[in-house]
Amino acid sequence: MSNHVFSRRGLLKAAGLAGGAVALAACAGPGGEAAPVASGGFDGPVEGELSFAHWRAEDKDVFDQVIAGFVQKNPKVTVRQDISASADYQSTALTKIRGGGTGDAFTAFRGAQFSNIASAGVWTDLTGQSLIGAYDPALITAGASGGKQLGLPYQLVFNMPVTNPELLAQHGYAELPRSWDGFLGVLDGLKGKGVTPIAWPGGDSGNGGQLINSMVMNNAPADDAFAQVEAGTLKVTDDWFLTTLKQYEQLKPYFQDGATGTANEAAMQLFATGKAAFLATGSYAAGPVRKLGARFPFGLYAPITVASGAKYEGIFNATFILGVNANSSKKAAALAWLAHLSDPAVASVYANGTSQHVTVAGVEYTNADLKAFAPWLTKKTLLAPRFQFNNLDVRTAVEEAAVKVVGGTEPEKAAEAAQRVVDQKR
Amino acid sequence: MRRHWGLYLFPIPALALYLAFFVLPAAQGLQYAITDWDGFSPGFDWVGAGNFTRIVSADDQFANALGNNLTFLLAVVSGQTVLALGLAVLLAARSRGSTALRALFFLPTVLSSISVAFVWRFVYDPNLGLLHSVGVPGTFLGDEDTAILWVAVAQIWFHAGQMMVLFIAGLHQIPAELYEAAHVDGAGRWQRFRFVTWPLLAPATALVVAYTTIQSFKAFDLILGLAGNPPRSSLDILSTRIYTTFTNSRLGYAAAESIVFMLAIGVVTWLQNRAARIGAGR
Repeated sequence: MSNHVFSRRGLLKAAGLAGGAVALAACAGPGGEAAPVASGGFDGPVEGELSFAHWRAEDKDVFDQVIAGFVQKNPKVTVRQDISASADYQSTALTKIRGGGTGDAFTAFRGAQFSNIASAGVWTDLTGQSLIGAYDPALITAGASGGKQLGLPYQLVFNMPVTNPELLAQHGYAELPRSWDGFLGVLDGLKGKGVTPIAWPGGDSGNGGQLINSMVMNNAPADDAFAQVEAGTLKVTDDWFLTTLKQYEQLKPYFQDGATGTANEAAMQLFATGKAAFLATGSYAAGPVRKLGARFPFGLYAPITVASGAKYEGIFNATFILGVNANSSKKAAALAWLAHLSDPAVASVYANGTSQHVTVAGVEYTNADLKAFAPWLTKKTLLAPRFQFNNLDVRTAVEEAAVKVVGGTEPEKAAEAAQRVVDQKR
Repeated sequence: MRRHWGLYLFPIPALALYLAFFVLPAAQGLQYAITDWDGFSPGFDWVGAGNFTRIVSADDQFANALGNNLTFLLAVVSGQTVLALGLAVLLAARSRGSTALRALFFLPTVLSSISVAFVWRFVYDPNLGLLHSVGVPGTFLGDEDTAILWVAVAQIWFHAGQMMVLFIAGLHQIPAELYEAAHVDGAGRWQRFRFVTWPLLAPATALVVAYTTIQSFKAFDLILGLAGNPPRSSLDILSTRIYTTFTNSRLGYAAAESIVFMLAIGVVTWLQNRAARIGAGR
């Protein structure tokens, strides 16, 4: 065997060397410095096949309809929807977008993803473009960074409890109070009449976490308090957050039984069947609750946690931030596509077709639930604080402190446990 | 052989695939584990052993996930092995009733883990769930101290039928003469099980325990389906922890966690092998 040209040992050596070479090659990995924000490049022709990358598969049909209108106006352009699952969109899809192969026009989540894309220089600066004038300026701040409008937050949701106004009125609460004691009084009254005051999916981290937005909106010492918690300049063991946790403790009797183990579907079911007066998630629940058979009108109300002088009435959030890829060779077409989406008539088609509000001004909402929520577009609302966290572990730890308090942990201990995670993750 | 050197060309496609889809990703994983790469940005810093030091000494969430995983592992391995063995002993004999029951117990195995998670979400819901409706009180998945054990129950339900089949296969390998001899010697049912069945099922038991251990470490989608993403700390296990870190744009740290995860599986497997050898008197 030893005189074989290719002995087994030789083959193993060759495989080992090849593996080593591959390992070394792999070590090349990503590299280079973060690129500056690109600007301009919108002067080219509006033509070619445009890739529009996003994660909202449920909006595909509506987008097809909107695309048809765009292509009618711009016959030299076609638009291809490159849709990824939202989890994939956090990783692989964005890497492809960075390469410029897909996503001439693309979208991003608010928060860490928006920031990562900004630091990678993939957004093209839209500052000064006329389409920005189509938006309500107060609702697109989540797409700005360093004084530049890098993206356009398109979809708008209100991450605050949904109400059953009929049920509330039936028990004498047609008007909801603007103070903490007043709110507790309403909850106590409802409970006394056999109504579950608040359906809260505490067992579902995504939906259960939304309540913290309204709970801190008037307690926090600054609008960016959670960003400061992550940065270390504020702590969740500070009085303002301890107060919030103690207020969660006060809410405990008014949540449904076993609230910390309740899934979102069950909380929605309680609300849809008229057993609960508030559903502590957000306006995005309206569609699913309707599908569960709710026939009553919907309202919105955020708990006011202060005695008087509340600064904010509610919460809004803008995910689905539209942008133009700095690495695209079709920036003019991508900008034209964004301008088309920014047309109030087109935005109206998208909004009513998807049952989502939009940040575009002057949109006519025909969907009954959207119409019911529309007055909140002009109220004093705060951009959802829970998305100020760039670190998901920190966000989860802070939200979990509230869940733990409802589960019976003392607020101080829950806050200390959360702060320990914050300190470790910084 | 020298004249047939061309035969050595045959493994090349397989080797190329192995290099491309195993060696390269593994090497990249090792590389990322010593960086702070976020998975997207063009740049990153080398952090050396920093990620590993942090995981071991200053990451309560990872330690918590490891603890949960070990609790889950113990609960599932013990519960699933006992249940599967019991079912196998009861249903090993071929009869019309036992065949139907075997199929019934095996049925959950063919479901997708996400479907199973949704079924058990309904079972555990404290307001509208099955357990609530039959008068079992509790918060179940909302109870910080016991949540992971409730997931273990779902996992056992999910896979016990599969393990039962392995045990039944093992039971069918045991010669009937041994039972007859034991019977003639006056051994009762328990003694026949203790001195004939159990020792001769050792290979099947080792297989079941090893397979269950791997499943317990990989119970990723069942946890996410039951608890949502990211799961709260009482339900976080190593696989979900790594996924959360990955989606948290901390790819370098997630790669380091994956390596520690692999080492944890290695240690548990080694301990199991040692225990099996000691049990077999080797």
